[in-house]
Parts: sequence; C-alpha cells; structure tokens
Amino acid sequence: MSARKIAKSKFFFEEDMVESIGEVSDSRREAWDNDAELKVVGKPVPRTDGYDKVSGSAVYTVDKTLPNMAYARTLRSPHPHAKISRIETGKARALPGVLGIISSEDGPDVPWYHGLSRLFDRQVRYAGDEVACVAAETEQIANEALALIDVTYETLPSVVDAGKALKPGAPQLYETGNVMRGKPFQYERGDIEKGFADADVIIAETFTTQVAVHNPLEVHCSLVNWDGDQLLVYDSTQAIYRVRDAIADSLGIPESHIRVIKKYMGGGFGSKLTLGKYTVMAALLAKEIGRPVKIVLDRHEMNLAVGNRPDSVQKLKIGVKKDGVLTALSHESYGAAGAYTSDAGCSWPLRSMYQCDNVKVEEYTVYINAGPGRPMRAPGHVQGTFALDSAMDEAAGKIDMDPLEFRLKNYAEIDQTTDQPYTSKYLREAYMKGAEAIGWKERWRKPGTSAGNLKKGLGMASQIWWGGGAPPAYATLKLNRDGSLRVISGTQDIGTGTYTILAQVASEVLDIPIGKISVILGDTGTCPYAPASGGSMTAPSVTPAVRDAAEQMKAKLISGASAILEVDETALVYSNGVVSLANDPKTSIGIDKILRKMRERVLVTTGARNRNPEGYSINSFGAQFAEVEVDVGTGMVTVLKVVAAHDIGRTLNRQTMENQFHGGIIQGLSFALMEQRLMDSYTGKVLTTNLHDYKLPTVMDAPEIEVIIVSEGDPMISDVGAKGIGEPAIIPTAAAIANAIYNAIGVRIRSLPMTPDKIIRALNA
Amino acid sequence: MNRFEYINPKNLKEASRLLDENRGDAILYSGGTDALDLLKNEVVKADKLINLKAVRGLNRIEYRPGYGLSIGACALVADIAEHPAVAEKYTILAEAAEVVASPQLRNMGTVGGNICQRPRCWYFRGDFHCLRKGGELCYAVDGENRLHCIIGGGPCYIVHPSDIAVALTALDARLTVYAHGKSRDIPIGEFFVLPEEDELHENILKPGEIITRIYVPDISPGTRSGYSKFRERAVWDFAVVSVGTVQHGDGRVSAAFGGVAPVPWTDYELNEGLSDKETRAHAIQNAFRDAEPMEKNGYKVSLVRTLLERQLNRLNG
Repeated sequence: MSARKIAKSKFFFEEDMVESIGEVSDSRREAWDNDAELKVVGKPVPRTDGYDKVSGSAVYTVDKTLPNMAYARTLRSPHPHAKISRIETGKARALPGVLGIISSEDGPDVPWYHGLSRLFDRQVRYAGDEVACVAAETEQIANEALALIDVTYETLPSVVDAGKALKPGAPQLYETGNVMRGKPFQYERGDIEKGFADADVIIAETFTTQVAVHNPLEVHCSLVNWDGDQLLVYDSTQAIYRVRDAIADSLGIPESHIRVIKKYMGGGFGSKLTLGKYTVMAALLAKEIGRPVKIVLDRHEMNLAVGNRPDSVQKLKIGVKKDGVLTALSHESYGAAGAYTSDAGCSWPLRSMYQCDNVKVEEYTVYINAGPGRPMRAPGHVQGTFALDSAMDEAAGKIDMDPLEFRLKNYAEIDQTTDQPYTSKYLREAYMKGAEAIGWKERWRKPGTSAGNLKKGLGMASQIWWGGGAPPAYATLKLNRDGSLRVISGTQDIGTGTYTILAQVASEVLDIPIGKISVILGDTGTCPYAPASGGSMTAPSVTPAVRDAAEQMKAKLISGASAILEVDETALVYSNGVVSLANDPKTSIGIDKILRKMRERVLVTTGARNRNPEGYSINSFGAQFAEVEVDVGTGMVTVLKVVAAHDIGRTLNRQTMENQFHGGIIQGLSFALMEQRLMDSYTGKVLTTNLHDYKLPTVMDAPEIEVIIVSEGDPMISDVGAKGIGEPAIIPTAAAIANAIYNAIGVRIRSLPMTPDKIIRALNA
Repeated sequence: MNRFEYINPKNLKEASRLLDENRGDAILYSGGTDALDLLKNEVVKADKLINLKAVRGLNRIEYRPGYGLSIGACALVADIAEHPAVAEKYTILAEAAEVVASPQLRNMGTVGGNICQRPRCWYFRGDFHCLRKGGELCYAVDGENRLHCIIGGGPCYIVHPSDIAVALTALDARLTVYAHGKSRDIPIGEFFVLPEEDELHENILKPGEIITRIYVPDISPGTRSGYSKFRERAVWDFAVVSVGTVQHGDGRVSAAFGGVAPVPWTDYELNEGLSDKETRAHAIQNAFRDAEPMEKNGYKVSLVRTLLERQLNRLNG
C-alpha cells in the first residue's frame, strides 16, 4: 500500500490563502518523464461524455425528475431595502394546487451569510432578497401563488452604488457601516514614498470595471427528496461536499443523512460554489409536504440573486524610471460586495505580477443594496489585470518603450509576496512565443498610427494565478475481472472535461483503454472527498490522486500475481492488463485470472493527492496578445485574433485544454466589450435580467484563437505535474483587448465594458 | 405567465370580433416570438390568445411588375429575406429581414408581428410600472438611457424595435388593416404614433383591427436600396441605430431610421437634402440637428450620421 500521512498544506483558493491539514500520499513517486511521450495523457482524447451531451441524452440537474415531485418558486423582495412587518399567505394557501409555504413567519429560523442574515430575513437588503417560498403541484401554480402572498414592507433608504455608499450620510445596510469588516484591506512592502521619489515618470489613472453576472447556461436548480430521515439532493453545484455540510448545518441533521449528487452541469463559473438558499427552501418544503420538491431559478432570478463579479474603481499609480524599471506601484480601490459578505478586492496582480520593491495597496469592499457577489472565474484578477496591464501600457508609452520589452524589463523572478521561488515559471517563454505568433515585432506600431476608418491595433497583457492544486483529494479505483475500471472521486465535472482527464490518467498507468473506464463523480454518497471545483483546483488536485490509486492497483495486481505464480514481486512486471515475469514474458497471468484466484470480484484502491512542496509558490502564468479592428465611425470593436501563450504545467488533454482557453477568452472578450449588470439607481432594481439586455457574445463575436503551451510537467507540484487552467484563460484577455484598442485609436478607454458609445465619446472628446 | 385560452378563429371576421369583444383581455398571436415573451414576463396580461395563423391565406408573398409587392401579414420574416423578388427589387427589405434576431426567430416571427412588436425598453419590459404600462413616470429620463430615443421622445422615450418597419417606411409601404368585415389601406407613415399622441400604444390599431397585408409600390428602374443595422454584438440583437435608404431611379432619396425615435423615423426635409447631390454632404452633416439626446445616448447622433453617409456611399459606390 502507498505511504500516507496527515500533513499541513497551504494553497490559494479563489484569492484566499487556505491552510489545510489532510491526508496526503507520501509515495514520493517519480513524476512522468517530460521527455517521454505518454500514451494517453496529453493527447486530444475526445470527451467521454461528448456523445451524451451532443445527443441530448445527458441528464443535467435541471432535467432531473422524480415521481410525484412538486415545484417550488421563490417570492423575492421588490424593494432594495425594507423591513417586513407582515406576510399574509392565506390567499395563496387557498389556491388549489398549493402544497406549502415557508417564510420568516412560517418555518425554521436558519442563519445565512455567515450569520449576517437569515434564510428569510425580516430585513431585506436588495431587490431580489428571498421573502417566501411556495411548493405547488406545478411551477405555474407556484408562480400564481407568489402573486397572492401579501407582504407589508416598510421601505428603507437604499444605495446601489459603492461610491455613494462610502459617502457620509449614505443609507446604512448594517449598524457597523457599509465598509465590510469596518476597514480596508491594506498591504505594503518596501517604501512607497521613496519608490515614487525615485521615479522619472509617474502615471496616475483611475480604471473602472462593471458588475458582471455569471449567467451559466444551466440555471441554478435543485431537486430534493426525503426518504425517512435521509435527504437526497440533486444540485447543480461545483461543490457537492460543501453543499452537503452546509445543508447539515442549516437543517441541523447529520452529514451522513445527506447525499448530494451532481452529474452533468451547464456551467457555474464560481456562482455554484456555495449552498444556495433555494436548496434549503426546497428541503424544508419537501419535508413539510412529504414529496420530492424541485426548484429551478429563472433567468431573471439568475441575474439578481446568485452572485456576480463585484465592480471596481481602481486608482493606480505607477512610478517608473526612464530605463523602464518600476520603482513603485500603488493601488487604491473600492468595489461593491452587494448586500452580504463578498470580496471586491482586486490588487493581487499588482502585488505579484511584476518586479517592484515598493508596493502599497488599500482596498475597500462596500455593502450596497444589490445582490451579493460571489467568486467569478478568477475573482479579482480579471478586474485587477485590466487596470494593472492598462496602466503598464500607459507607463511604457510615457517612456517610449515597447510594451512587451517593458514587461520583460520588470520580470519577477520570485514571488515577491512571500519571497519564495516558484516551482516553475515559463512566462518569458510565453511572452516570446506569443509575440512571435501574433507578429508583434513586425506588426506592432505606434498607437493611433493606423490609417482609415477601420483601425487595427495590437495589445498584450500578462497573467498570474494559482491553481497548483492541493490535498486532500482522493480517488477510488475499482477494477473488475473483465479488465474494466471504474474511477470514483468526489470532485465534479462542471463542464470542463474532468470525466475525460481522470479516465486518461488511469488509462495511462494501467493500459486500460478509455472505452473500458467509467468515471463516477459528484456523489457524496459514494465518492471519496475531493475539493470544490473552483480556483482552477480540480485537475491539479485530483489527477495525482487517480495516478496514486492506479499505481496502487498496478502494485496490487503484481502482488496478486506473485502469490498465485509463487514468484517474488520484484521479478514481475505489469503491462496491458497482464502481469508477467520480467525475464520470461511467457509466464504471465491476466487480470481475469488474478481476480478469480483471489476470489475478489472487484479490486479496490484509493489514492490521495501528495502534499505541496514547502518553501515554494505554485503559480500559473501566461501572456495574451490581441489584435483588434476599431471602426472609428461607429465605435465598434472587432477582436480579430487572440494568441494565448501559457505556462500550465503538463497538458492533460490537448482538446479539452483548448476548449477551456476558448471559453475563457470568449468570456474575457465579453467582459471587455459587452457584459454589464445595470441597475436603476432610483428604484434599486436590476435592469439587465434577460440575455438580451445582459449581453453575452455569440459565436459570430468570437475571434480566431491560437493557444500555445510553453510548459511541460512541473514535477515539484505532483507526479502528474499539471496546473489548473480554468481561470488563467480569462485573466489577461480584457487588458490585452483594451491595450489593442488604444494601439488602434490612440485613445485610452479606462472603463469596462468598452462599448461603442464609450469609444465614440472618447474619440470625440 | 397567466393562464390563457388559445383560440383558433375560423376566419378574419371571427378573429377581429374576438379581439374586439375581449378588449384588453385578448391579444393576437402569430409567430409568438414577442407575444409569449410579453406574457411570460408579465408585461401584458391576456386571457385569450387569438391565433392568426389559423386564418388561411395570410402568408403569401407576391410580386407583380408594374404593381408592386404584396406581403401577407403572416409571412415569415425568413421568407421575406429569402424571397427572390424581394432580394432583387427591394434590397432594403431583404437586408432588413436578414438581420432580424436569429435564424430560429426569423423562422417563427411574422412580418405583421414584427411591425407590431412592443418596445424593448428595459423599464417597459422589466418590473417597472412605467408610463407605457399606464404608470406615471418614464424611468429612462433620469435612468439608464443609453439605448433610448434621441428624437420624437416625450413623455416616453422608447425606440421602435422593428427593422422591417424601417425598411417599409423608406419604401413608402401601405398597410391593409381589417376590422369587422372591412379593410382599409393606410400609409405606413400614418400607422405609428409618437408618445406625445399616445403613450400606451405604438400604433393606431384599435381593438379588433388586424394588419392583413403590406403593400409596397413597384420600384422604378435604377432604384438602389439598402439597410444598415448597427448593433452591439454581431448577431441576435436589436438595432442601436439603423438606417434604410431607397435611392429611386430619378435620384430621389428616401431614408428611414431605427433606434433613434419611438417610431420608424423619417424626415422629409432631410430626404430632400439627400436627394440633391449638391446638398447631400451638408444634409448628412446636419441630419438629426434637432435631436435632443439624453444623458447617455448622445453618441447616437454621430452614429446615425456615419451610418447614413456610409449607406449612401454604398448605394453609389
């Protein structure tokens, strides 16, 4: 058996440093040789769930049904800030087909948002806050019942803009004020005053980014059912174990009584990393009415109540010497948390991306009367990189230096936030290869020198993120007599290809064809623990656990063969489902025979993720280069091409990896040019609650994308050597596009999204 | 969405009678691409949906030289875009139909419905009891008005969302309106109404009145026409600003605009200026001179001039 121990690991999850103590594999196995070509890992293996998804036979949570199920719908506050004085449900209850109603007047009092609020609070703090929930025979009846619930509100003054919420006299969401934690986050290294004094040139500009909403294709939904005191929950979630534990806390029932299942998912982007109120409401109603309850949010609710990327107002100041050396970086910002705990900080890229001795950060997260934020694909980094890499571009322009050269000049060799070296960093290579692919040297021209109505420009930006993975993460393998294998892990495939890459790793070790491997994920009832699918954690955390389990399986087969053949284990080798004598391959025994002799119908192993190396930082890096065309008559920006050159450790699957980059870059383009949640400041309501008004790009808006990988397996991370890529893909896109726009038109747009009206206005200014 | 009755009328007369008898409670249903959206989002309430597709013969598209083009109100938007005679003679109309929404919506939506679709204003479509829904306030005035009108507004500031109506306006189309056994023809320019006249409706249709046919006069030899739509994403979007121009054989220019006003906008004085090559450049530069932009939609003035200039260059290039 593999060596195990409990160890402490540190890692970053969605911008937060996490210290976890957990069981780790201590096998100290050699990493796969970077010079050797692997048989399956790294290859463009088609998604194992591709047929199900393309044919429509894949059952997503939203498709799931149970016999006799009822439907629940939620009543939400129409007011941005109010006290509820009375909830009258008599008329709604009298509606035929209504089965149950819960609210603050009917149902248990469940703490929510870290105790800041309740499942049903008597004080509602945003238009969309949950007030009551109705179960009925049909969704239609439930909706009709909502209209019959009579709520008396005493409206309170509200504020939906973080800047206004910071001003004296602004309406207060909490007695402790509108600044989360009562004070800003601060960070400082070196001597900022001296840094600016040493600078030849200082750039000071304000950059703003909008609130973006995750809007995954599959809406948030749950289907729950009680079997006695056992609760079964189908949930569209990125984190089955978090959901399970949070339900247990909310309902006060044992975790062992709850089984959370998620098979296929139509995206989450971070909005599905926490337990939703809707799941608990469904569970309470299901208990009350003794029937399964399904609750599905509509697109309107999706744009109100399930998270967003907080906005930001970032004042950046950069000090630079004439030769291009950065002397000081300062970042002052604020952003809206929404009505409940969230984090609007976005200074990580500034603290870590470029070499700079003198750095100062002060950032405020502000409560406003709007839906609370949640991590959204590289939280903080997307906003922060837009500002930082735009400002870097401006600084390069001021000292008349090529923007790429300027970045190379300030290349950070170590992690300045911890003074630790990186396990690997191939950003220089990413700059070079990316520049070559876009034709930077030959094609980059002075800003604003493109002629005609359609002006072309090139821009680039850098990326840093974590995503090295961490323990604890486990995978169980079950090998059958026919040589078919099952891989089981409590991770979840959120649409990224986890099913496929886990099968690939097992296949690589055990020579079992992908077609004979089935992967079961996303079931707390059957799967060993694995982390939430966020923070670009999944591939780097779970694939080493699968490899560990597979290597154990191989050892087990050899051990079994050794007992059967009565030869020493060291004399045996495993290959292609057969254990044979190393020096006499004719003496061999296959999986089928080994299992029959062992009288086991299934061989089971469980592998664990190794610990992370101490004294090193694990980060992923990359550079994106964008080419745009700007119509100066209309302000329309067309992104022609994006080259994404990244350091991602080992590539696990060329095809799903490219898919991830395509998705991230298109989402980044969308953030740069289209998406924004707009609120009416007078009424405090969201205006963009459908996918016409909340604009997402179509395939016609997508640019040509070229993905270049400059890295190979990083043996210091794990014996698989992969870094996560879900978030890195989106981080530099908006900044690269913004810089390309500036390069095209010679006018800087410092506010996202860079819609045509802003461009026209800037050109006419 | 409220419960409703779905009624298949036997003929126009019955459809008209049902609409009239159920004033305020019945709406006409044809492609459903807007009607269902309005019901689902509770922008309108209706107990009865009168399915106009049940009435036969309303989907013909016919072109006769010397007479012109006749389009049944239930003809699909996609059919207009693909009709050979439309593409050949009425480029503006084909181009407008081609850029409506998405292929799925064009294959469901009908021409009559497209002309009668309700505005896309996010206040009107959202949870706001605004002027157009019988409320007391146009929230766009002090609110998010980046996409609202720059001319013809007040007290409500919607823009008319139809691409096809803009093309038909430039083509001087006539609409046949049926009610209670009688039909009448009206010029499209008299069909749409400004909010100052009626803030609740976008057109003059009274309960029981149904558009059955659109007639477009034949074009003179040498006529060139085109439609340009500016939208914020490449496909599946309403116009921020659109321009349709018809340059007749005799040089006379007729331009109509979408995205700028509560109705498909046309300006006779501007058309005169555009018709004379000597004054054209000046006319373009001064187009929408009397626009009254709001806080966030001023860019539309320069945008519409750019599109107009390009459109005319395209027709003459």
